[in-house]
Amino acid sequence: MESRRVHWLPEITRAEVRAKEEKGERPPLSKMAVCIAVIAKENYPLYIKSVPTENELKFHYTVHTSLDVVDEKISAMGKALVDQRELYLGLLYPTEDYKVYGYVTNSKVKFVMVVDSSNTALRDNEIRSMFRKLHNSYTDVMCNPFYNPGDQIQSRAFDNIVTSMMVQVC
Amino acid sequence: MSVPDYMQCAEDHQTLLVVVQPVGIVPEESFFKIYKRISTVSQINVRDSQRVLYIRYRHHYPPENNEWGDFQTHRKVVGLITITDCSSGKDWPQTFEKFHLQKEIYGSTLYDSRLFVFGLQGEIAEQPRTDVAFYPSYDECENVEKRIEDFIESLFIVLESKRLDRATDKSGDKIPLLCVPFEKKDFVGLDTDSRHYKKRCQGRMRKHVGDLCLQAGMLQDSLVHYHMAVELLRSVNDFLWLGAALEGLCSASVIYHYPGGTGGKVGARRAQGSSVPTEAANRHRPGAQEVLIDPGALTSNGINADTSTEIGRAKNCLSPEDIIDKYKEAISYYSKYKNAGVIELEACVKAVRVLAIQKRSMEASEFLQNAVYINLRQLSEEEKIQRYSILSELYERIGFHRKSAFFKRVAAMQCVAPSITEPGWRACYKLLLETLPGYSLSLDPKDFSKGTHRGWAAVQMRLLHELVYASRRMGNPALSVRHLSFLLQTMLDFLSDQEKKDVTQSLENYTSKCPGTMEFITLPDGLKLPPVPFTKLPIVRSVKLLNLPVSLRPQKMKSLLGQNMSTKSPFIYSPIIAHNRGEERSKKIDFQWVQGDVCEVQLMVYNPMPFELRVENMGLLTSGVEFESLPAALSLPAESGLYPVTLVGVPQSAGQITINGYHTSVFGVFSDCLLDKLPGIKTNGCTVEVIPALPRLQISTSLPRSAHTLQPSSGDEITTSVSVQLYNGETQQLIIKLENIGTEPLEKLEVTSKMINTKGKLFGDFLSWNLEDTLSQFPLKPGSTATFIVYIKVKLDFSCQENLLQDLNDDGISVSGLPLSSPFRQVIKPRVETKPINPPEASKAGDFSHVKTLEAILNFKYSGGPGHIDRYYRNLSLGLHVEVEPSVFFTRVSTLPATSTRQCYLLLDVFNSTEHELTISARNNEDLVLHAGECQRMAIQVDKFNFENYPDSPGESTQFANPKQLEEERQQAKGLEINSKLDILWKIISFWKCREGEARVEGVLSQLVLEHLQLAPLQWDVLVEGKLCDCDIVTDCTVGDPVKLEVKLTNWSPQSVGPFSLTVIPYQDYQNGVHNYDLQDGITFVGSNTFYIDTVKPTENSVCIGALLFLYTGDFYLNIKFHEDNSCRELPLSWFCLPSIHIRAHLLLSTQVCY
Repeated sequence: MESRRVHWLPEITRAEVRAKEEKGERPPLSKMAVCIAVIAKENYPLYIKSVPTENELKFHYTVHTSLDVVDEKISAMGKALVDQRELYLGLLYPTEDYKVYGYVTNSKVKFVMVVDSSNTALRDNEIRSMFRKLHNSYTDVMCNPFYNPGDQIQSRAFDNIVTSMMVQVC
Repeated sequence: MSVPDYMQCAEDHQTLLVVVQPVGIVPEESFFKIYKRISTVSQINVRDSQRVLYIRYRHHYPPENNEWGDFQTHRKVVGLITITDCSSGKDWPQTFEKFHLQKEIYGSTLYDSRLFVFGLQGEIAEQPRTDVAFYPSYDECENVEKRIEDFIESLFIVLESKRLDRATDKSGDKIPLLCVPFEKKDFVGLDTDSRHYKKRCQGRMRKHVGDLCLQAGMLQDSLVHYHMAVELLRSVNDFLWLGAALEGLCSASVIYHYPGGTGGKVGARRAQGSSVPTEAANRHRPGAQEVLIDPGALTSNGINADTSTEIGRAKNCLSPEDIIDKYKEAISYYSKYKNAGVIELEACVKAVRVLAIQKRSMEASEFLQNAVYINLRQLSEEEKIQRYSILSELYERIGFHRKSAFFKRVAAMQCVAPSITEPGWRACYKLLLETLPGYSLSLDPKDFSKGTHRGWAAVQMRLLHELVYASRRMGNPALSVRHLSFLLQTMLDFLSDQEKKDVTQSLENYTSKCPGTMEFITLPDGLKLPPVPFTKLPIVRSVKLLNLPVSLRPQKMKSLLGQNMSTKSPFIYSPIIAHNRGEERSKKIDFQWVQGDVCEVQLMVYNPMPFELRVENMGLLTSGVEFESLPAALSLPAESGLYPVTLVGVPQSAGQITINGYHTSVFGVFSDCLLDKLPGIKTNGCTVEVIPALPRLQISTSLPRSAHTLQPSSGDEITTSVSVQLYNGETQQLIIKLENIGTEPLEKLEVTSKMINTKGKLFGDFLSWNLEDTLSQFPLKPGSTATFIVYIKVKLDFSCQENLLQDLNDDGISVSGLPLSSPFRQVIKPRVETKPINPPEASKAGDFSHVKTLEAILNFKYSGGPGHIDRYYRNLSLGLHVEVEPSVFFTRVSTLPATSTRQCYLLLDVFNSTEHELTISARNNEDLVLHAGECQRMAIQVDKFNFENYPDSPGESTQFANPKQLEEERQQAKGLEINSKLDILWKIISFWKCREGEARVEGVLSQLVLEHLQLAPLQWDVLVEGKLCDCDIVTDCTVGDPVKLEVKLTNWSPQSVGPFSLTVIPYQDYQNGVHNYDLQDGITFVGSNTFYIDTVKPTENSVCIGALLFLYTGDFYLNIKFHEDNSCRELPLSWFCLPSIHIRAHLLLSTQVCY
């Protein structure tokens, strides 16, 4: 946890130096998200899937703590007009290994995506489009008359979409 | 410098650091007592000025941090207070030596020091010394605070002199280069004369003076100095010190903007100052920035008269936005130096505190995130804990509760890290408890009872597991049981099958040592853990209070006033009342329970566990009357569906009882589950009235119990039923034993009966009894018995069924078409006709032996004891199932006129439908033996009946009955009359006990037969020679003598009849079927052979007389015929029933003798 520091100041050079020092054993590059979660308005998970399944709880904690930032961003956004609101929340916070991105629907359902921080190929626009895709799929789930809002999402179609956004780490 | 002070905040920059330390052996308690008192003197108004001095006390300070004192003067220990315990003067020199040693540790930086000696008395203590104070004991040191104030003032003097010294030191003298410990070697051999170096020295000194000004309470000056330092240092790229100067600027600005402090817990400290608070209050308004923009406003309000300083302050002071920018800049400079990690970290923490006050959480989180990644040297475990705790606290402060909880949990885990030799489970547990709000988890199960669980189950479960483990390791099994119960109760839906098994297994392990209770567990820090009732083990879906069994149900005696009538409303029905919600809510049940009787409550439960669930000691929780609950133990199969469970108990007194819930013991945890806390439970109401005790009646009978269950039409149910098989016409005695098995005396008893299926026609009373004999044994004490006898009489229709009738029709005798009064009818002689039934038909005997069923209910209403006083009674029903087998049938009935017109023969074809030989007897008749399936005709001579004698009383009483009913009733009465005359009895001897019964003809009698059996209302009497003549009587007369013939009509009918004309036709019967009517030569009428009878009024009679003269001897018959005219056509034929007259004419009496 204390291995790397964050580039929140572009002029920080020491962090880069340190990062170079520790170079050597970086996890293999994964193209896309490593964890995707859907969180209900009341802040409990409707769906969570992570790629390295053996340490799922870690992602639970990561996503759970990211909700603080989501809440903060939403409350800051609250003043803006509802229809003009940007659903994409951007980078919530970076950790040493991952970047956490957020997206909130108008009904305050949150999507959280955890991306490997070494993944520089993934641009903001791509993350945005992935969230949009996720949102569309979620809308489809909600349209299912047999789905009770607030229940765990068990839709296979949604699962497939999520899986397509996550690439197995080899 | 390696030990970060996480508690630091921006305003610490203006404080003077004073270390308070014990020397020698000082009791910790005493030391801290004094330390506390010293600490209260944290700010001093320096005399004659408005400057305020702030003091920061530490009882522990690493000397290596002191070495950074030039870099930031608040890190410098300027004062030392030593506390020592010295009991005798002997020890004094030694103690004093120690004081000096202590002073040397911080010697380079100290401005002044003090020694507080406790316990020493005597001459040494008498000596007045400035640096030493003597106190007799820790309790007698009133002037400690005063001493400290003096001490601080002396510190101020030094500080002020240093400040003035440095500030004015602008001469050409060489300014020394201030440097931090790790820089010292870098500057060796540097050109001290270069302009660059000089600037660096100047810049650093400016910064240092800024620090001193800030400490000396000269905020304005410090800002100016800092600004100058920033400019100087920036030009020479002295980043570390530039960072420090920027941070100083930030600190000064923060102090200016936020006089309330950023540290949070010490925020109130400034309130102690006298003038500052007002100044601060005036200056620090919500729009502090506006004040800065408009210095004029500040001037008018400000206490400080010096306008120039005010304006300057506004100019030099950073805006809140700028503070953060400068902090960022400072930190980025610090980060260039690995050795300044602590400085960077502390700066981050300070910035976060400022941002927290500014409510800029996002930026604060960035600072914190940065702080997390600042790599210090290898930290000790304790330092790690401290670090995580403080991170948690800071996250909490900026409103990131989840992040805060995360770090707190990490800290908790750190407390028990495997590398620690003595894991601090208590601390771990305490920290874990503090994380609960962050995971939106409360330990009160009530918060989870509403609807489905909404929370992050995965992390909550993890936390609960950790709580369980920590509490177990703490050696508090009760606590772990409570947490584990909570986990099981609230997270049940999220546990996998295997987890359910594991959790319950460990729960059982724990409870074997310490069973779970329903008591609150109070933790040492005052937190109360509410009990966790297992409302989901099993899940209860519905609670239904059951009524008592029918036989025990109390019923209210109807009061004369009609209490059932609602007096609330004048309306019989109103929808407004019907939909009254209040009534619905009251949940009162419309039946009652009885004191002392076992009452039942049915629960529908199911087991959500993937294994068998053993629920022990399950009972009811009630309020209201005293209730003895009889707990049950049950075992529910895995994943059972809805499963009914009946909980029972006995109310011990009368009144209202409310079922509040139930208690269970599952996996060794006792739970009290209250119904109103359970979601989605169905109930029919929970409050029921308990009425006073009533006796209980048990009945046993002489007859076997019935396998049949009676299906009564209306509500009442049968408790027991008995069955008996009887032959039609038989009478059976039923002995009923009444036993009082209750505890109250049985005082009242009422018996009623009710037929259930009344399809078959029944003659006579089915059940009859005499209650008086039984009632004489009352009141019945508990345990005692009385007997009651009921007679069962079955008298069904004895007429045969239609099939039988058809079957026997080939006999050729027509019942209906019998012209009764015809004297020409051949079959006059009564005879016994035997008609054997052919074997194939006998096999079909089952068709005839059609078993009929009679069912009746005997209701015993009884009461007694206190319940009787309250006008309650109980009703016990005894079902009676009687199978009636046919005994005999009257397959055909007909009448034959007897020789007398007043009599006739009733011909009954009796069919023995039993499988036994039976004898049948009638009044005045010989016994007739009938074999099984045999049919025989029996003729019974009966006197004709005068039914007219019957008054129409039944008709009068039921005036509104329709004529048909009236007719039926009349016929029934007639049947009864006939029956009583006939007295037909049958007897079956072949049984071990002779069985007998009567046979009744009512049902067989047709209208026609009845008419024939009836005496005609017109009574015709024919008298020959004054002698009443009837069929059998032969009247003798002498040839040649006129024979007087009288015909007398008595009218018994209600209306007048007549006139009639009759013709007497004589004939001779040759006994071979030939009648000779040609008797003109043999008989001569004296007068006319036609009689005329005038109209006869009711009850009157009329006589007409004629005479005959027989000319020859012989047997003659006289047939009296009516003339067919209109008058007699109106009346029934049978009314004109005249006897035929048999006259035997002789020659002479003497000649007769000659024969």
